[in-house]
Amino acid sequence: MNVGLFVTCLVDALRPRIGFATVELLEAAGCVVEVPASQTCCGQPGFNSGDRASGTELAMAFLRDFEHFDAVVAPSGSCISMIRDYPGLFAGQPEVAGRLAALAARSHELSDFLLNHAPQRLPAGKLQLRVCYHDSCSGLRTLGVKQQPRELIGAVQGVELSEMREAEVCCGFGGAFSVKLGVIATRMADNKCVNAAATGADAVVGGDLGCLVNIEGRLRRRGDHQTRVLHFAELLAEGLDSGHHD
Amino acid sequence: MSDARARILARMSQGLGRPCPDTVARVQREDAPMARQVVHHVADFIARAHALQSTTDRVADMAAVPAAVARYLRTAHLPLQGVMWPQFADLDWVAQGLALEMRAPQSDDRTGVTGCFCAIAETGTLLLHSGVGLSAAASLLPETHVAVVPVARIVTRMEQAFALLRSEVGSVPRALNFISGPSRTADIEQTIVIGAHGPRRVHLIVVDG
Amino acid sequence: MHATSDRFKSNARERLDDAGLQANLRRFGGGFAERRREAVGRVDDFEALRDRAAAIRTEVLENLDHWLLAFEAAAQARGTRVHWAETGADANRIVLEIARAAGVQRVVKSKSMVSEESGLNEVLESAGLTVTETDLGEYILQLAGEPPSHIIAPAIHKSRDEVSALFAEHHHTPPTRDIPVLCEQAREQLRPRFLAADMGISGGNFLIAETGSVAIVTNEGNGRMVTTLPRVHVAITGIEKVLPSLDDLAAVLRVLPRSATGQDITNYVSVLTGTRDPGASDGPQENHVVLVDNGRARLLGSALHEALRCIRCGACMNHCPVYQNIGGHAYGWVYPGPIGAILTPAYLGLENALDLPQASTLCAACEVVCPVRIPLPELMRVLREESFSRGLRPWHERLSIRLWRWLALPPRLYGVASGVAVRMLRALAGRDGLLHRLPGLDGWTEGRDMPAPQGRTFREQWRQRARRPS
Repeated sequence: MNVGLFVTCLVDALRPRIGFATVELLEAAGCVVEVPASQTCCGQPGFNSGDRASGTELAMAFLRDFEHFDAVVAPSGSCISMIRDYPGLFAGQPEVAGRLAALAARSHELSDFLLNHAPQRLPAGKLQLRVCYHDSCSGLRTLGVKQQPRELIGAVQGVELSEMREAEVCCGFGGAFSVKLGVIATRMADNKCVNAAATGADAVVGGDLGCLVNIEGRLRRRGDHQTRVLHFAELLAEGLDSGHHD
Repeated sequence: MSDARARILARMSQGLGRPCPDTVARVQREDAPMARQVVHHVADFIARAHALQSTTDRVADMAAVPAAVARYLRTAHLPLQGVMWPQFADLDWVAQGLALEMRAPQSDDRTGVTGCFCAIAETGTLLLHSGVGLSAAASLLPETHVAVVPVARIVTRMEQAFALLRSEVGSVPRALNFISGPSRTADIEQTIVIGAHGPRRVHLIVVDG
Repeated sequence: MHATSDRFKSNARERLDDAGLQANLRRFGGGFAERRREAVGRVDDFEALRDRAAAIRTEVLENLDHWLLAFEAAAQARGTRVHWAETGADANRIVLEIARAAGVQRVVKSKSMVSEESGLNEVLESAGLTVTETDLGEYILQLAGEPPSHIIAPAIHKSRDEVSALFAEHHHTPPTRDIPVLCEQAREQLRPRFLAADMGISGGNFLIAETGSVAIVTNEGNGRMVTTLPRVHVAITGIEKVLPSLDDLAAVLRVLPRSATGQDITNYVSVLTGTRDPGASDGPQENHVVLVDNGRARLLGSALHEALRCIRCGACMNHCPVYQNIGGHAYGWVYPGPIGAILTPAYLGLENALDLPQASTLCAACEVVCPVRIPLPELMRVLREESFSRGLRPWHERLSIRLWRWLALPPRLYGVASGVAVRMLRALAGRDGLLHRLPGLDGWTEGRDMPAPQGRTFREQWRQRARRPS
């Protein structure tokens, strides 16, 4: 299966390791992975700020970059949700809308892809870590990503998942919201930190880097430099690597 | 005022992009889904009424109602005083030591005994309607409301109650009051307190015959 | 009601710093969501109930003018006088005229959010009438001189101690921490006012076109009191509240209380039609309905059309993490939370509530619970688009979107720009790998650090690895 990796702009800039972990996982699941060099961003920053045209332009770019793949995968529920919104931006252009709809239908959030669409199951990994999991909003409510990452994490030997209170409540990131209404975003992130800390976990794990940066930013400002904040792709890849060493 | 009406209507038809139609055909749909199926009318009605903090009793026929009212009031240590709808005038209340008057209630009347138009099993709800001899205040002002519910008047769902009204009453009465347990509030600290402005107790006497 | 929706940011900051309010929000905020979840769990198929309610509300709005006229004709046939008000001020004037013509002195009111829009109480009181709010929450707020902070639990921001202090001051009763005792005091205070009132004012949860009826749902029974005892009843409600038939009411009532308070049904549902029957012992002798537009009609057919489906259950605010952290007053007008973030700019003008549509992470917690399936995040986005296209947002925000768009589109430029940005951020970061301050991003760094980029961008590293020929 020929898979195009949509890296996402945040992973590209802030945590490339998540991108490499994603490639590793996809390959371990039997995919041939390509990373189109001309990709940029899904368009959410503009689209959610009211600049609808930027959404349509980036949708066209996405079509150009990814239409030839069997499947597109992103380590983000948020970006995939945006991609699933693309067809609706071309109400007056049924041909483009149709092509985008077909492409959106084979574009998947990473955990959902690994569990439900990949050619092979991931080999079992191994990692000693107590974690709690934050459900990112778009993945959870738009794509139905809830059990998928938990199942993948749960399959890693040694990982212990304890659920935090209000795991499904937004962390306060919300893209530009986190800057425009930073005080509210900070309070929401703070609630998340409190709930995560209450589980005693070594790491807060999630599936969207926006949320992770927000949570980590607040954790560090609160003076917590111990708790790790990980994308589940990093955790799974770490598990695979330790598994191989045995 | 009529200008305001015309302007509001004009704004609406402009927004909707057409002149206001004289007739509109309803979308044809199947019966609305119920929240929960009703398996057994009486048992479900009683169980759901209990969930609303109503209490219930069940008697064989209307003649047994005064004794049931007296039993309830005595057991709960409530005054044997109040008002009732005149439809119960023929029952023997005096023999049970009850001082119930056939009139509209004052604020300090302690008990209101009413009938009901019908009851709804889906939610455990009573339907009372207004009219001559059907004081609405009797189910509102006294702190205890006792309602007589003949089994034959328990319908499955609210739509059936409306159908029954159409067939038995014709035009809709001034007030339809659907009553689902004692009055309550949760306006202070989200704490549920029973007995806000209306009755503190709703007791249903389900009559089989 | 005097609006402060143009000061949302400072309102919110104030509320976040208010320790008492924060404690109250934390203690009482989650209850509604919990109870709704339980109520939904008792239903065979709640999604099917939502579908039906949404379909009915959608169908009504398509011909709202027709259904309103049908309602008017049926109501008039039963002796109800129907009034049309274009604005809140018009509605106030109409109610005052009704009161004067009927020689009314004492008014009891059950909850009406439309009357909060119009500021009806002030108008009646300054005309010399005595007005008593009778919903317990509204009564508390009337004593406190505050507006509601929630559409179904108006005083949710107040603790029992605050209520006790108010009651002690106004009722001259000893303070108590016992909530049932406080409720009892309110009952004792309000019962004589119900009995003595000349006029009852209520809202209207629904208008039934089939029968010309006003449907009112309350738990406390105050809605029944104000529509049963006084000789005049005035219902004041928005023009969007029509349902074609009583059967539609039955279907919509299956979702309203479950979504609002998590009850299977509200204690009292009253369907009121016309005036007292000859010979009957209760019911108003004079009955009025005031249909208020106040910005609603112009939403029909607009991009915000779907907001008019709202049945005012409050589920969106009960599930909104922004609302749960700042409370309802921060929104600055009658309707807080997600639906308020849409209705306030829609009714008062976007320029008077510019930050409200931005006051959401678009997390969609509201959308998935809305009983009539209003796409709330999408409607907020519509308003954001209007802000953007009308140039209403601050210049630096507009500039940054333009700049982002200019960079995000051409891949090569984007690659260079992100590469440079990453290097700059790394240079600015401390040895702990964190950025504690970022020029232009104070909104972020005031309360959070920014983890610095790990290294060069993924694209740069990927290209360098040249893992496979393209």
